[in-house]
Amino acid sequence: MAVAQQTARPEGRSSSSFWTVARRDSLAGFLFIAPQLIGITLFVLIPLCLVFWYSLHEWNVLANTFTYTGATNYQMLLEDTNLPSVLGATAIFSAGLVIFNLSLALLLAVLLNQKLAGITIFRTLFFSPVVVSLVAWTIVWGFLLQKNGGINGVLLVFGIEGPNWLREPVTAMISVIVVQVFKNVGLNMILFLAALQGVPNELYEAARIDGAPRFKQFRRITLPLISPTILLTSIITIVGSLQVFAQIAVLTQGGPGLTTTVLVYYLYQQAFQFHLFGYGSTLSIVLFAIVAVLTFAQWQMRKRIVFYES
Amino acid sequence: MKAELSPRMQVFLYGLLCVLLVPFVFPTWWMVTSSVKPISDIFAFPPQLVPESYDWTTYSKVFELQPFVKQYWNSAYIAALVTVGTMVVSSMAGYAFARIRFPFANTIFMVVLLGLLIPSEVTIVPLFQMFLKAGMVNTHWPLILVPIFGAPSVFATFVMRQFFIALPAELEEAARVDGLGRFKIFRKIALPLARPALASVAIFTFLHSWNLYLEPIVFLSSADKFTLPQALTQYTDAYGGPMWNIQLAAATLTALPVLIVFIIAQKQFVEGLAHTGLKG
Amino acid sequence: MAEVTLSNVRKSYGAVDIIHGIDLGITDGEFVVLVGPSGCGKSTLLRMIAGLETITGGEVKIGGRVVNDLDPKDRDIAMVFQNYALYPHMTVATNMGFSLEHRGGSKAEIAERVKWAADILGLAPLLDRYPRQLSGGQRQRVAMGRAIVRDPKVFLFDEPLSNLDAKLRVVMRGEIKSLHQRLKTTTIYVTHDQVEAMTMADKIVVLNGGRVEQIGAPLDLYDRPANQFVAGFIGSPSMNFLTGTITSEGFTAPGVMLPIPETALGHMGRKAVYGIRPEHFALDETGVPAEIVLVEPMGSETQVTMKLGETLVTGVFRERVSLSPGATIRMWPELNNIHLFAADDGQRLN
Repeated sequence: MAVAQQTARPEGRSSSSFWTVARRDSLAGFLFIAPQLIGITLFVLIPLCLVFWYSLHEWNVLANTFTYTGATNYQMLLEDTNLPSVLGATAIFSAGLVIFNLSLALLLAVLLNQKLAGITIFRTLFFSPVVVSLVAWTIVWGFLLQKNGGINGVLLVFGIEGPNWLREPVTAMISVIVVQVFKNVGLNMILFLAALQGVPNELYEAARIDGAPRFKQFRRITLPLISPTILLTSIITIVGSLQVFAQIAVLTQGGPGLTTTVLVYYLYQQAFQFHLFGYGSTLSIVLFAIVAVLTFAQWQMRKRIVFYES
Repeated sequence: MKAELSPRMQVFLYGLLCVLLVPFVFPTWWMVTSSVKPISDIFAFPPQLVPESYDWTTYSKVFELQPFVKQYWNSAYIAALVTVGTMVVSSMAGYAFARIRFPFANTIFMVVLLGLLIPSEVTIVPLFQMFLKAGMVNTHWPLILVPIFGAPSVFATFVMRQFFIALPAELEEAARVDGLGRFKIFRKIALPLARPALASVAIFTFLHSWNLYLEPIVFLSSADKFTLPQALTQYTDAYGGPMWNIQLAAATLTALPVLIVFIIAQKQFVEGLAHTGLKG
Repeated sequence: MAEVTLSNVRKSYGAVDIIHGIDLGITDGEFVVLVGPSGCGKSTLLRMIAGLETITGGEVKIGGRVVNDLDPKDRDIAMVFQNYALYPHMTVATNMGFSLEHRGGSKAEIAERVKWAADILGLAPLLDRYPRQLSGGQRQRVAMGRAIVRDPKVFLFDEPLSNLDAKLRVVMRGEIKSLHQRLKTTTIYVTHDQVEAMTMADKIVVLNGGRVEQIGAPLDLYDRPANQFVAGFIGSPSMNFLTGTITSEGFTAPGVMLPIPETALGHMGRKAVYGIRPEHFALDETGVPAEIVLVEPMGSETQVTMKLGETLVTGVFRERVSLSPGATIRMWPELNNIHLFAADDGQRLN
């Protein structure tokens, strides 16, 4: 021990007066976040400003001109006769998707939370579409939903003549919603399942002793306790529904007419098919505004929906 | 809810689960079986749940009509790079936001979270212009750089931050007393313990990159640069109609490997995702 | 091995002062316990000595060297944490050797030191296990092993026994004390448990609200608490207090007159607090009467809650008291074990 004491420890860098612990930590912090921060600046913040800038210009790609036109693009937005139906389609698609997705996810989670042998096999199978390549999944469904495809074939076995699913307005919208829900409902299902398993069993036992029937247990105990998860999944699902593009592009190309042309698809057409970059940017601003308003509204609502937060 | 179930209830539940399973499982089955049916059989009535005759030439046509191997490689290497890159970027940023006190940390975190709020579709137009100016259109750079550093990695950062916040501070203090600096604490203590969170970040990121569709069709224009999702839609006849059996064969080749990996490692997949801190 | 000196050490978060200027000298090889109620600043003070919290003002010296701006790793201290802070992904041996790895020891040296520490603590059969495979007491020992393996100048313990059950706590208390007697390393130990403080310390520092209330040997604190706070904090069950006035006949508390020692005569007419420990009542037929409220037989002794005048007090008697609530008991406070404190600032009067 005496030896250890005699070997003088070399003074650490730390003893220099400038590089205090706090200063070194600040430097480390900035170095750690630097890649992300630079990336966000380059690929999110600057583009966001540019989108706004572009939306004030008319951009002719062929003539290679870029002229300031002020609010003209926003004028065009108001006069765009397609826009009401695009926004309508977006609203129907998002609302339908969220409602169907969350209720199916909750139903599956409740079923999978039962004491049944082999339940993990079901869990795996319900989750499997999440890992199937999105476009592959969409192509199969497109194939199944053809006039003479698998679904109508099965219906015909029972003597029912099915519609041309993807070519009629109502069924086309239903189809794109359903295809998307079956693809991704597994994610929400797993999150709900984890939340359900987080509800202490004693609460159910107490409720049973209090004589509450099963349905009441679900409504009065389960739902309030998993409400934070419901809020979170609904935000994720709504924002996700506004980004759905591949499914529409592969299944219906926005048709028939404009019935399944959601905002993202319309934006893509205007910017990259008709090369209206200025107007496309204006539509991007609209998309951004919708997402921002929805997220803000849901966040505000959390005080009213979420009964319990850990 | 975990009360014992009566046998009748059990039979009912199994029945219900099996019916609900149809739209989840049948499409994959239909994809695989239809891909080996001769073209004359794929729309046959009544539908053939099991192929009555086989035509394996669809698979050779997948490779004849497009540089499918190249496209497969494109998707695979881009997804691998994006996954590894995102793990590095997000674990570092997530650690700093959770654990290091530095000026403006909260403000910067709010700015970064903006990336969660902004769908990448909003910024696709300026991004296209930026990459056009940089001479990177019709290269894979946009598909690699934007997910690693831009909005898609913010979600991963968020997940990592949630994980690191829950990591006991004592462990790091013990490491400081044991003589480790910030970088070593991160590398030797925090990161090894973050394996479950990293695994779910990896899964999410890989699937996201593997499924990317809008970005490839915006940025890429030549067939040998295409990624798989984009390539699948290119198996069309002279009139633009899909060549179903070939599309399905290519779709099968795209989907099956990931599906098989998933089934082998399903426990890690599902439980990893459930514990990403998404619970709130 | 080293002495530790704190001079006017202060800590504040923004405008909030947590530690108000603490002076403390710890001699080489001493076992010092910082004790106080939760939120008194004892853990913060320990963490400032460790270097885990910055020091707002004053000076901390370890072995004669000012360490205010040094990293924990450069202070030559070792710390045992409340939840042990064992690295879950490393074996017991790696956990214990981890600090040496970063101080440039060779593999053989590290293994030798780890073996030395493991032998002392009886950990040798557990070296290849992971923390999750250990019991609470074993984890505690590994945490100590990790501290001693480096042979630091000072050991710091932050409430190390608070996660153990009562029985194990007593065992580990003994182990820590005998370890200290063997290694003779300067030790600073934080706890909220005054029994731990009494049984382990060479010197106790009682903290309250970020200030030192009293420093002294355990029995000095018990026998002559400097103020009402220390008097109430040290000892279990805690001291009884009666408020009243010192008069020439004795101490007048509401509804009762109590005898006082001669040392109190200088404070005639003063408002004061009369302190008497439960074990310092003697049963006597001529004594002051008290009405019994509750009787709790413990076997070796009997704890009695009673009304002395209008104040509820506790008495502990070696005799078996077979009286029931409502009955009257008579006793005298032992004259040389009476503590008198000023009513206004709580300082000791006698």
